[in-house]
Amino acid sequence: MRIIRKTRWFILLLGLISCRTAAHAQDVVLVANSDMQISSISEADVRAIFMGTKTRLEGGAHAVPVTLKGGSVHEVFLKHHLGETPDEFRTQWRKAVFTGQGAMPRAFDSEAALIEYVAATPGALGYVSRVSPHDNVKCIPIIK
Amino acid sequence: MHPHNQITRGIALSTYKAAELPKLLRMLPCLLVCIFAGGVSAQDLAGIAIHGFATQGILYSSHNNYLTMQSSSGSLQWTDGAVSISDSLTDNLRVGIQLHMYQLGQLGGLNVQVDWASGDYRINDQLGFRAGKVKTPLGLFNDSQDVDAIFLWILLPQGAYPIDNKSFYLSHVGGEVYGNLTPGSRAGSLQYRGYAGQNNLDLNGGYLKQSAEFGLAFTSPPGGKTYGGDLRWDTPLRGLTIGSSADVLAIAGTAPGGGITAPSFLIHAHYAQFTRGKFYFAGEYRRDPFYATLTVGPGVIPLSYDERAWFAMGSYRLLKKFQVGSYYSHSVNKSLDTTQPANYSKDWVVSGRYDFNAYFYGKIEGHCLHGTGVGYYESNNPSGLKPNSNMLAAKIGFSF
Repeated sequence: MRIIRKTRWFILLLGLISCRTAAHAQDVVLVANSDMQISSISEADVRAIFMGTKTRLEGGAHAVPVTLKGGSVHEVFLKHHLGETPDEFRTQWRKAVFTGQGAMPRAFDSEAALIEYVAATPGALGYVSRVSPHDNVKCIPIIK
Repeated sequence: MHPHNQITRGIALSTYKAAELPKLLRMLPCLLVCIFAGGVSAQDLAGIAIHGFATQGILYSSHNNYLTMQSSSGSLQWTDGAVSISDSLTDNLRVGIQLHMYQLGQLGGLNVQVDWASGDYRINDQLGFRAGKVKTPLGLFNDSQDVDAIFLWILLPQGAYPIDNKSFYLSHVGGEVYGNLTPGSRAGSLQYRGYAGQNNLDLNGGYLKQSAEFGLAFTSPPGGKTYGGDLRWDTPLRGLTIGSSADVLAIAGTAPGGGITAPSFLIHAHYAQFTRGKFYFAGEYRRDPFYATLTVGPGVIPLSYDERAWFAMGSYRLLKKFQVGSYYSHSVNKSLDTTQPANYSKDWVVSGRYDFNAYFYGKIEGHCLHGTGVGYYESNNPSGLKPNSNMLAAKIGFSF
């Protein structure tokens, strides 16, 4: 009886943890400069753009990925859309930088600063929490 | 091409210089000034990005002195640092330069080298060009082998990536064409790189130290034409990459009293790596046949080397900041008696890395090294070499 009760609690706890993670993933939105001529983007393209292997969007527009320096929104975006931890992401970019094959995406301390940059920079693509004010940029749905 | 320990044995040895600690101490402040001048985060001044790294290592070995260090007494003569500056002039054009300085025992020293310096024009994702001094792709790690911050390992498998000669393999002066092809959404993507140019030996590197031990001290670096390419496939199985590289090299040069000539030879490498969650696995096979003629005064010494090297490695991230791993590296010179320790090197390695934060990290690594075919020099092993040695290496590093 005791074991069954413990197992129930454990299952409930697991459920809560998974709901919490899923909520986090849904709470992060991809934002782009308002001039960007796309209405959605595939997850493969998001990964390729943020990992530096793709620099142009469908239609040929130049893409400028920007990131947050850290925090839960940064971690959730990397985990769910790039399949990377912040350490792995940083390592990949360090490799590109120190071998002369790429320039690290510009990183911002705050979501407000990131949005300000995206709003002012043609081709810029970033991510913020859904609850952050982002009226002057465009939200781009990511298609799995 | 590797140091020909088996040939140098028996030839008069140069005297080992006393540990050059003052040199190291002079070097450290320069590196630190370079790095801390800009604060701890990467600097971006109106689009100009500045990055850098610095490391300090220590090596202790139970027998033999490794990599020109007095490692059997514990050696701190192992410092590395680099600063890179780059700027995107347009959406398609980027320019940059990376300066690198290293001290590895008696190698390197206070010489600032240009690691790479190039203009990079990317027409689109499928086609781009780099020109200048560009990194050479060969196997999984050749072009990044000097970037300590991205590896768990302190020493990469030495059969494939000899640290005492890394500056020779790292880059060449010339041009490169590169691109990323996506044949279909379910076929993964193909990354290709092809290059041609000129490659020179490092006057302060391992090969020319070996030739100095023959009595042939070069004052200008021998070199020759090089060309090759790398093709790697990021397969549809997420995390799995496989690829092959080939590099053709030729070397010629003269020194007071002699010279070296090596006709074109082909190095080829085949590799795979797999990343899934906290796990990482990789393996590589490389063949490196090298035939050369060394002229010292009236004497002509033929050199023959046919190295077959492979390694298998795996790692696991135990904690967010702590990673452990192990590899086995095997290297043998097939052109000579492979039962002799001087003609093979077999290394069992266990490593750990802790990242204190996004910039600072520490590493520790144990080696069980069998054979003396790679990384040993006569000049600081005057009493000869024992066939086996255990080693402990530790390193701290900073990167921004």
